[in-house]
Amino acid sequence: MIATADMALTARGLTKRFKTGRTFVEVLSQVDFEARHGQVTMVMGPSGSGKSTLIAALSGLLKPDEGTVNALGEDLWARNAGKIDRFRLDHCGFIFQGFNLFPALTALQQVTSVLKYQGKSRAEARRIAMEALDEVGLGPRINQRPSELSGGEKQRIAIARAIAKRPSLLFADEPTSALDGENGQIVIRLLRRAAVEHKAAVVCVTHDVRLEAFADRVVHLEDGRIVAERSAQPAESLVHA
Amino acid sequence: MSLALATLIYEWRRYLAAIIALALSGMLVLVMQGLFLGIIHTALATTERSRADIFILPVKVPSLVNGDPTLPNRVQPQIFQNPHITEVRSVEEAFGAWVNHPGAGGKQVQTFISVWAVDPIAGAVTLPVDFDERTRIALMEPGAIAVDESALERLGTRLGDQASINGHAVRVRAILHGYQSVDQTSVVASRETVRILSRTDSATTGETGPLEVRVDNPANVDLVRDQLNAVAHGAYRAWNRPEFNKANEDALMSQQIIGVLLIFLTFVAILIGVGITSQTLRGAILSNIREFASLRALGISMGSLRLIVMELSVWAGFAGIGAAGIITFLVSLVAGAAGLPIIIHPAPALMICAMLMIIAVVSGAMALGILKSSQPADLLR
Repeated sequence: MIATADMALTARGLTKRFKTGRTFVEVLSQVDFEARHGQVTMVMGPSGSGKSTLIAALSGLLKPDEGTVNALGEDLWARNAGKIDRFRLDHCGFIFQGFNLFPALTALQQVTSVLKYQGKSRAEARRIAMEALDEVGLGPRINQRPSELSGGEKQRIAIARAIAKRPSLLFADEPTSALDGENGQIVIRLLRRAAVEHKAAVVCVTHDVRLEAFADRVVHLEDGRIVAERSAQPAESLVHA
Repeated sequence: MSLALATLIYEWRRYLAAIIALALSGMLVLVMQGLFLGIIHTALATTERSRADIFILPVKVPSLVNGDPTLPNRVQPQIFQNPHITEVRSVEEAFGAWVNHPGAGGKQVQTFISVWAVDPIAGAVTLPVDFDERTRIALMEPGAIAVDESALERLGTRLGDQASINGHAVRVRAILHGYQSVDQTSVVASRETVRILSRTDSATTGETGPLEVRVDNPANVDLVRDQLNAVAHGAYRAWNRPEFNKANEDALMSQQIIGVLLIFLTFVAILIGVGITSQTLRGAILSNIREFASLRALGISMGSLRLIVMELSVWAGFAGIGAAGIITFLVSLVAGAAGLPIIIHPAPALMICAMLMIIAVVSGAMALGILKSSQPADLLR
């Protein structure tokens, strides 16, 4: 097993089957996967290739039938459900294709409501949330509700909600597919910045080929197996743009 | 502001059905109870609005509503022996057949009514405090009666009309307000008139109705009551006004059919309340299920989500209590305008508020199951 200092996530032999009717479909078969701090790892592949199942198994949302996930030096699936919740609360951020923001909360409240569960005081949660919203460029819109914001702005709030916790692991599932090209660029740059500046291990599932340029590593998945894996050198101009 | 409260306020339309269900459940029980209380107090208006400080009933009669309240004649002079007592008069009631004398185009009405006796003497203990001077003077005339405005049509009569009770001529000389009858129509006349109409008096029967007693100083009421009871030797029991009113109320509320009716209504209200409220909460939570799932993904435990739902149901409970208060107030205004008195006491009202909160919390608990569908893995598509 490779265990270098900047390794954030190591999965070995992940297998997951789903029952459909009388037969089992193997969605993941014997997948090995790694993600490092400070890097964006892109998981690509056609629909039904098992990308989302992989990310669910890596992040503690869906228990694999076989295999292990070593997250931040600990065996993730050896923990009980409560400890896995706690692990996600302390270390994981999520960004989904749908933004999943509460319609009743303002941008600021979306972020602080999560921070409160980490035991942060009101004032501290507010300060951290303001910082995160500034980082995604929504500082002036903190008092607006999702219905008053565009799709790109909503996704940026979701990103602020995910990165405000300063997660070591940041999972993104098709974060740009509900957005136009320009907003997609903004979102992927923010993910890239989370990796480079905050040393998070960013795992991003996508089938948007334009995002490949921002990745440090690209993993291609097909029929539940990794068919190609390569390191990339993201263009300097893209990283710091 | 918490997530639960913000959601309830911002998405109030989603929760409106729950709040209205709670409000109507509360209103149903409050108004029914208030109406029953209103009915009993209206039926007893002539005694309750008298100037009496103390009421004397036979010792085993639990209230004016149940039991035979007649006392032997000898009790009255016995009561007078207490030096603090300034006035003692009996409550008398006559029953008889009413026949109106319809004018041109009118229909004849023949019905059985009761006639309450008052003493049309200024400041008399039996004279209700809300009778004006003109009513009192009008009742001094033999054969004069006073009729509540709500009974005029039922009796087929008007102010100034003649009629007969038990074959004796009477004349409607005054109109009363707030003396509605419950089942049998009742009118008011002077003690003299009642004696003529009923063809009996205590001299021949040896009995009087319950006694109304006035005491020289209101501060002495409880003392005098205790003194009277101390020398009663089983002949009577003296009650102060609050005891007497409460006994009449309790008697009516515990009368079998009313008690059962109220319990049944409360049961129906709880059933409807829980049914609608829990379903509404489930629907409303389901509409935010993806947001809840994203909180689960971010590591917020199922227990914390359950707390959010319970908090939401408590806020919905408060909103329901507020709405129940408003609707009940409006309904009581309408009822008041229609001459139906609704009386709401703080204690049962508080119990109904507690009932609504319990409905809300139980509904919240029943809606918790829906959170199971907040599977964050489902968001990864």
